[in-house]
Amino acid sequence: MTTTRRVLYVLAILAVVLGIYGFGSRLLFGERDVHYGSYVNWGLWVAMYLFFAGMAAGSFMVASLDYVFDIPLFRNTGRYALWATVVTLPGALILIGFDLGHMERIWKVYLQPNFTSLLAQLVWTYSTFLVVAVIALVIAMRGTRTALKPVMVVGLAIAIFVSGGVGALLGVNAARVSFQNAMLPAQFPVLNLASGIALLLVMVGFFGVLADPERRIRLVRVLSLTLVALLGVKAYFLWVDYSQALYGQTQEAVAVAGQVLFGPYAWAFWVLQIGLGVVVPAIVLLMASTSRRPPLAALMGVFVLVGLAVGRTSIIFPALAFPEFDGLTEAFTGPHLGLDYEPSLMEWSVTLGVVGLSTLAYLIGTDRLPYFKRTPEVAS
Amino acid sequence: MTRDPGATTVDERPEACGLSRRNFVKLSAIAGGSAAFLGGMPGFANLVKAQESVVEGANQYPLVDPANQVYTVCLQCNTGCGIKVKLLEGVATKIEGNPFHPMTMYPHIPYETPIADVGPVDGAICPKGQAGLQTVYDPYRLVSVVKRKPGTKRGENQWETIAFDKAVSEIVEGGDLFGEGHVPGLRESYVLTDKDLAKQMADAIKKITDAKEAAEKVALVEAFKVDFADHLDLLIDPNHPDFGPRNNQFTFAWGRLKDARKDLISRFLGAYGTTNAHGHTTVCQGSLYFTGKAMSEIYTDGKWTGGTKFYWQGDVGNAEFAIFVGASPLEGNYGPPFRVPRLTKNSVDDGMRFVVVDPRYSKTAAKAWKWLPAKPGTEGALALAMIGYLIDNDRYNKAYLAAANEAAAKAVGEPTWTEATWLVKIEDGKPGKFLRASEIGLADKELRPLSTDPEKTFEFDYFVALVNGVPTPVDAYEQDPARAVRGDLLVDNQVLSGITVKSSLQVIADSAHEHTLDEWAEICGLDAADVAEVAREFSAHGRQAVADIHRGVSQHTNGFYNVLAWYTLNAMLGNYDHAGGLIKASTYKADGSKAGQPFSLKQGTGGIAPFGTSIIRHNEKYEKHSLFMRDGYPAKRNWYPLSSDVYQEIIPSIGDAYPYPVKNLMLYMGSPVYSLPAGHAQIPILTDPKKLPLFIVIDPFIGETSMYADYIFPDQMYLERWEFQGSHPSVAFKIQPVRNPAIDPLVPDVTVFGQPMAMSLESLLLAVAERLGLPGFGEGGFGDYGDFVHPDDLYLRMVANLAFGEKEDGSDSVPDADTDEMAIFASARSGIRPSVVDMDRWSRIAGENWAKVVYVLNRGGRFEAYSKGYTEGVLPEPETTPFGFDTTQAAHPFGTLINIYGEKTYDTKSPMTGEHLAGYAKYYPAPVSVLGEPLDDEAQGFDLRMITYREIMQTKSRTSSNYWLLALRPENFILINVVDAQARGLKDEDVVRITSASNPDGVWDLGNGRIVPMDGKVRTTEGIRPGVIGFSLGFGHWSYGSVDFIVDGTTIEGDGRRMKGVHANAAMRIDPYLGNTSLIDPVGGSAVFYDTLVKLVRV
Amino acid sequence: MSEHDPATRNGAMTRRGFIKGALGGGALTAITAYEVFAIQPEPATGEKLPPPTGPTSTLSSADDQTDVLERMRVELLRALDKPRADRRWVMVIDLRKCVGCHACTIACVSENKLPPGVVYRPVIEEEFGTYPNVGRRFIPRPCMQCDNPPCVPVCPVSATYKNEDGVVVVDYPECIGCRACLTACPYSARTADFGLTYTQDAPLAAGLIAGRDAGAAYEKASNFEYGTEWPREGHESPIGNARKCHFCLHRITAGELPACVTTCIGRATLFGDANDPTSLVAGLIARPNVTRLKQELGTEPRVYYLT
Ligand SMILES: Nc1nc2c(c(=O)[nH]1)N[C@H]1C(S)=C(S)[C@@H](COP(=O)(O)OP(=O)(O)OC[C@H]3O[C@@H](n4cnc5c(=O)[nH]c(N)nc54)[C@H](O)[C@@H]3O)O[C@H]1N2
Ligand SMILES: Nc1nc2c(c(=O)[nH]1)N[C@H]1C(S)=C(S)[C@@H](COP(=O)(O)OP(=O)(O)OC[C@H]3O[C@@H](n4cnc5c(=O)[nH]c(N)nc54)[C@H](O)[C@@H]3O)O[C@H]1N2
Ligand code: SF4
Ligand code: SF4
Ligand code: SF4
Ligand code: SF4
Ligand code: SF4
Ligand SMILES: [Mo]
Repeated sequence: MTTTRRVLYVLAILAVVLGIYGFGSRLLFGERDVHYGSYVNWGLWVAMYLFFAGMAAGSFMVASLDYVFDIPLFRNTGRYALWATVVTLPGALILIGFDLGHMERIWKVYLQPNFTSLLAQLVWTYSTFLVVAVIALVIAMRGTRTALKPVMVVGLAIAIFVSGGVGALLGVNAARVSFQNAMLPAQFPVLNLASGIALLLVMVGFFGVLADPERRIRLVRVLSLTLVALLGVKAYFLWVDYSQALYGQTQEAVAVAGQVLFGPYAWAFWVLQIGLGVVVPAIVLLMASTSRRPPLAALMGVFVLVGLAVGRTSIIFPALAFPEFDGLTEAFTGPHLGLDYEPSLMEWSVTLGVVGLSTLAYLIGTDRLPYFKRTPEVAS
Repeated sequence: MTRDPGATTVDERPEACGLSRRNFVKLSAIAGGSAAFLGGMPGFANLVKAQESVVEGANQYPLVDPANQVYTVCLQCNTGCGIKVKLLEGVATKIEGNPFHPMTMYPHIPYETPIADVGPVDGAICPKGQAGLQTVYDPYRLVSVVKRKPGTKRGENQWETIAFDKAVSEIVEGGDLFGEGHVPGLRESYVLTDKDLAKQMADAIKKITDAKEAAEKVALVEAFKVDFADHLDLLIDPNHPDFGPRNNQFTFAWGRLKDARKDLISRFLGAYGTTNAHGHTTVCQGSLYFTGKAMSEIYTDGKWTGGTKFYWQGDVGNAEFAIFVGASPLEGNYGPPFRVPRLTKNSVDDGMRFVVVDPRYSKTAAKAWKWLPAKPGTEGALALAMIGYLIDNDRYNKAYLAAANEAAAKAVGEPTWTEATWLVKIEDGKPGKFLRASEIGLADKELRPLSTDPEKTFEFDYFVALVNGVPTPVDAYEQDPARAVRGDLLVDNQVLSGITVKSSLQVIADSAHEHTLDEWAEICGLDAADVAEVAREFSAHGRQAVADIHRGVSQHTNGFYNVLAWYTLNAMLGNYDHAGGLIKASTYKADGSKAGQPFSLKQGTGGIAPFGTSIIRHNEKYEKHSLFMRDGYPAKRNWYPLSSDVYQEIIPSIGDAYPYPVKNLMLYMGSPVYSLPAGHAQIPILTDPKKLPLFIVIDPFIGETSMYADYIFPDQMYLERWEFQGSHPSVAFKIQPVRNPAIDPLVPDVTVFGQPMAMSLESLLLAVAERLGLPGFGEGGFGDYGDFVHPDDLYLRMVANLAFGEKEDGSDSVPDADTDEMAIFASARSGIRPSVVDMDRWSRIAGENWAKVVYVLNRGGRFEAYSKGYTEGVLPEPETTPFGFDTTQAAHPFGTLINIYGEKTYDTKSPMTGEHLAGYAKYYPAPVSVLGEPLDDEAQGFDLRMITYREIMQTKSRTSSNYWLLALRPENFILINVVDAQARGLKDEDVVRITSASNPDGVWDLGNGRIVPMDGKVRTTEGIRPGVIGFSLGFGHWSYGSVDFIVDGTTIEGDGRRMKGVHANAAMRIDPYLGNTSLIDPVGGSAVFYDTLVKLVRV
Repeated sequence: MSEHDPATRNGAMTRRGFIKGALGGGALTAITAYEVFAIQPEPATGEKLPPPTGPTSTLSSADDQTDVLERMRVELLRALDKPRADRRWVMVIDLRKCVGCHACTIACVSENKLPPGVVYRPVIEEEFGTYPNVGRRFIPRPCMQCDNPPCVPVCPVSATYKNEDGVVVVDYPECIGCRACLTACPYSARTADFGLTYTQDAPLAAGLIAGRDAGAAYEKASNFEYGTEWPREGHESPIGNARKCHFCLHRITAGELPACVTTCIGRATLFGDANDPTSLVAGLIARPNVTRLKQELGTEPRVYYLT
């Protein structure tokens, strides 16, 4: 086992251990110890749910490069990407499940759904997506590519839909001007693809994935350039969003944008999302030499993922932190009625736990499953 | 009576057309994100198939059932609105207004409405009333007597629970209770019990007091010592017999107290024989009451006497124009549920307009036509400015003021009249006493029978008024229409047989003309045009204009004269007893004093008639006291011949042992340390057992003052106990709300006189009475009526009196409760234990009146019909003056002479300077020390005038436990004008300390090692006069469950939510001469809240 | 009720007629209403009170002889006799009469046993202007019971919906607590119940002071939202649910006005059936000074404000 793997195992297990407190508190005392509330009613968990779901969808898209479009360069990456989908998606579902006041009633969404509700639509499509992904995985494990393709196509369609849906989930809220952004639904598929690519870059960069070192370098190069391109698009989106907002009409949009760009958490935006998430990776990945140092490229992939994760939070928190009426928070005060939100220890703990579980699942799977043992068949 | 429960609240969602739904699902699944936007369309949710809903079915709502409702009286503030307590298995779960009570409905519902029909009828109450549950179900309530842990000092907050009986025996018998040496018990001062001896002593002392010459006094004192040689040990100080017996060394003080409990306490203290029973009036709106007293003095048997401690308020529901001065009826006052609906309806629907005079832009000001942010302390100046304007512009009610006696008043249909036309003697420029007819040979003195005993006579000397320039004798109470006197109004410096005289109105006019309108406006810091406009409006609505005043007027060093000025201004309109003018409170008598009432509470009272000087030196003239011969002017502390219940004097006087030392202080429902200005100055006294040997407090909490007690006796709180709340001057109707137990008390039972009863004020006083064997308690305590062994023996009898009414023939009594009402009555109270509510005991005590008693209690008291509050007008033909028109009057009028010139006031001398007081409206600048000297705080750099105010969501020291209310306002702040803030570089949320000349550190020193700084958060606003800052009442606690304390060795953690904010009373100015007391109004007795200059220091 | 037979009092006959007509007589409710509503105070003498000078009419005009609270309650009883779909509950808030006392907020908290962090009807305060020309405004904000409620379609399980009376309800046992409706509401009229109580951290201190158990009595007591008993225990609904103003359906159904209405000391909050042309609210919402919050969003609120 490579040192990277060992380190990852340790970190993942550590994360899971740290997660135990959060899981325990949530299961025993419900939402007593959370910090999100009634005005900022979606917190870290929802943001991370979006992020995980994004990775899952993105990875599936990436997998299709191998399993659907048979792009030679991507041959063999498919199974890793597909596996990534299968380990991240449950993480997403745990996070959103914990966010419910009555988790135990989740079944109602299946038995008595209200399909005008995007949430219902998403739960359903994500569930279908999970099923399809698993089927695809099973078939792929059997190695019968012919049967795999149609399943993958369906999955791909769903992957794109869920990506759009998430954006819409926010978009439909007439209440929230800063969600009223035609671009949101369009943005998510792109961002998700980016996270998928980044994830693959990480896998390839850290764990080889490909036997042939030459192809690996080429792949890293291609992934790097694609990622840079997508980062370019992401940067464009951000610019459009906030410039629109700032020159924009409503005082709320301005306030929200201001919050993100110059508010107390501006550092997260500039340092993590822009600096770490875009500028640094872009520069490093553009350098041809980088592809000769796959681990470095992989690290950049990690940076990009972090940037994307932070991006999710800056879409949600500031928008909710803007009061519907001035003076509302003074009119009646109390726990969960504040506008400044910082995730509680318990929320962090749960999030960490989920990250740990997914990573662990990924590692164990790639280690133990015969699927990853078989030497890749050579292209005819 | 609820609706037919067939109706359900949440219905079946309409059956959806499955197909269309399925299609829609497909559609949305494919269309992806875009489908989402369909979600925005209405009604789609309803396309979903409905599943059985748990919230289907019959409507459950037991609280609407009258059998789960008890009508009683709120005490979340002193307004005392009627409330309806809704119960669920004996637990109070919701409070509503009692619609029978005029406070909560406008108009209130007819008293005869069957109780069964009133289940769903609720009146309106304020947020505090709604939150009352949190006052009663407060986790920090004491449920056992606690004693200061021996070996610890007062205020260290270490306690031991102690059995009730043991505690009672300790406070009565005394002994070495704390390992600090002997502590005198209550028995030690219960020495003079012989009624005859007491009578003789009292008479002898009266002679000493009445003696004019010093030498004569000395002689009489010596004679006294000889005459009572065997009994001198019963006196506090034989050299000053006028101090009275040692019984006076037991002092009982209270904060919030109402009838029934008051009757119990007076009975107890009367039996014990102490004169020291003092309430909190002067911390409240003292000078309002005592100016009222001065203005209601009656000329009987040749002297001014019998003035009643009361005040007037505006009948704002019927006014066309009103001025609120230092009053905020929308936030505090008496009280929002009563006054607000009248104001909002009247002003929004009926075009009434009002003005608010207040340095702060209050919520009342927010609804006002005009806001006049006059400088604090210049209220009197503003009133005089307006009086001057009315006189100069001839816009006052001459017909009213011309009436010099009752006959003349009646002739013009007026219930009241004044001395406006009476002639006042002017000695070296100063107005003095009224001219008497005999002095100018106008009429001889007449011998008239004494009112007290018609056998004896006194010499009656007529007053004098000019009628068309002709001197005319005046008898204020002359009934004979033929002898009605309508005098000349403005009589200036006339000389009648060598005596210079002016009419009273002229004296007032001169006072008003001390300055021009512009100068007055300048003094008040207002725009002269505004003042003129308000004066014009004020005089443009006949008698339906009124100036309504409260604490902002009375709690200044010039409080008495501010109040007098505003009441005089009202007299210029003659609006007294008129709808829309000034009215007074009226309540049903329940003490058995009315002929025919079943139980006279006088029955069985057997104690001595208490006599001697009170520790606060009220109702007594300094220069007549033996101490005057010793000390001369200035007196060591102020004396209060014109006021009483001088709260801020009680503890400091004990501290100074002036006039004599006190051994035991029992404090009930008061928190002087928290509530008084400069209350911190009392801590060193309370913590010193040498100054105050035994300090007993009756209080459900370890509060800011009870924390210094030696013993704290818990109490039944307002939803658990009896009290007759009475009324307020804003209410025209005759009422008597009865507070009665609605829930089972949280305190345990104790046994007194062999009876189980809840631990409370009652059980304590009864237990002490039992131990001391006080007359009027125990077996046969009520004489012919029987025993007094349980609180119910008193309270049920009082309810019976109330139910019987005030007509001897019983024609005024309430109907009997029918069986239906009886059943509701019993079941509503079924959750309460027999020691508190016992139908058998109750019906036995109430006797034949039982059914009527139930009728009254079912309605939470007795309330007159809405229509009975006002009479119809009385003047037949409209007159020419704007004041002549026919107006409706108050049905319960004040109805007699109103002293706008107080001869008795003039006749009173300052105990500091020996000078006569002014008897008329006059402007004195504030603040001044008790010696009348101005303060130089401004020179010391104290640059902001501090005021304080109520917010509707807090009451004094006792609602910080109401977490619901804290959610509305978790902490108060220091209100400051934006300009002042900028000048000091302050912005919102900055924390600053409030310091003053008498508290330069800006702290509360709790005397237990803890220092509480007066740090508050800045809140900038445009809504306060620049140069003035304000803070609201009720926050900044340092006890009352906010900090840890120890009981029986266990530390009980405090709740930080209860201590937020700042309470700046400790910054309020200490009088430089008194040293341990706030600034005071020496005449009206008010403790001064608004005359302190402070400095804000950033922390 | 013979003590005050209206026939002996002027003006009462007509009113009785009115009530009869309004309530179809007979019904117990009618009698109650009549008892409480129709009573005329008897003037001191035979004739009517003479009107005091000027616009003040409180003492004379017959219509002023009943508190609007009683008028509204009678109208409520009348509306309850109609088929549910024929009623149109609306709330009218007269901002000129609202004095910012917050009694309605607390009445609602107490009536519905709202825990920390949950509020149905805050009153928002505003200050404007510059000294000495200052203004203050107080704006109560219940649920608007939107006729086009954005909060409804977003619910994944249709636990929240507009019932037949047009009130937007939350079916607690169905609600999974996703809080999508909180985000969707443009008025922040929904808050989530996170299962706290105000006294949860109070000391138990058994025997020494009343302590937590005694102190929690009123908080643990059931509330009766939607006419169902909801004890507050464990993690049972409404804990974990979205909560909101429901126009006090449980009180309305019992013939009692909403808690915030009955306790409104300014008589600023008015309630009734807009489909009853003679009702107080029907008249008010036709006034030119009527407005609704955020109308531009097309939510069609059923709460009207008079300015
Ligand atoms: N800064 C500032 N201070 C003020 C005022 C202000 O406007 N600003 N207003 C002043 C006015 S008007 C007044 S009237 C005073 C009032 O002040 P006080 O009359 O001194 O008393 P309260 O603050 O009402 O509380 C008195 C005590 O009663 C106790 N208590 C509560 N319920 C019960 C009960 O049921 N039984 C018994 N035995 N005790 C009980 C409480 O624990 C508290 O210790 O405050 C004055 N203080
Ligand atoms: N919410 C609430 N209501 C209460 C009470 C309570 O504690 N809370 N307590 C009850 C009791 S005991 C009382 S005595 C009454 C008191 O009733 P009010 O006297 O009406 O109330 P306050 O707030 O004490 O003072 C009234 C106004 O005087 C203003 N003021 C302060 N200083 C000055 C000044 O120097 N000049 C002028 N012109 N105005 C000034 C304040 O800003 C305030 O708006 O309220 C009763 N009602
Ligand atoms: S005003 Fe409020 S707190 Fe005061 S008595 Fe009335 S309801 Fe109670
Ligand atoms: S919180 Fe409850 S009511 Fe609101 S959307 Fe989610 S499930 Fe529906
Ligand atoms: S106000 Fe908000 S919660 Fe109420 S109906 Fe409208 S959208 Fe729904
Ligand atoms: S109607 Fe009922 S639920 Fe709605 S705000 Fe008023 S009191 Fe609260
Ligand atoms: S109760 Fe009435 S007056 Fe008071 S805040 Fe609420 S709406 Fe305004
Ligand atoms: Mo007071």
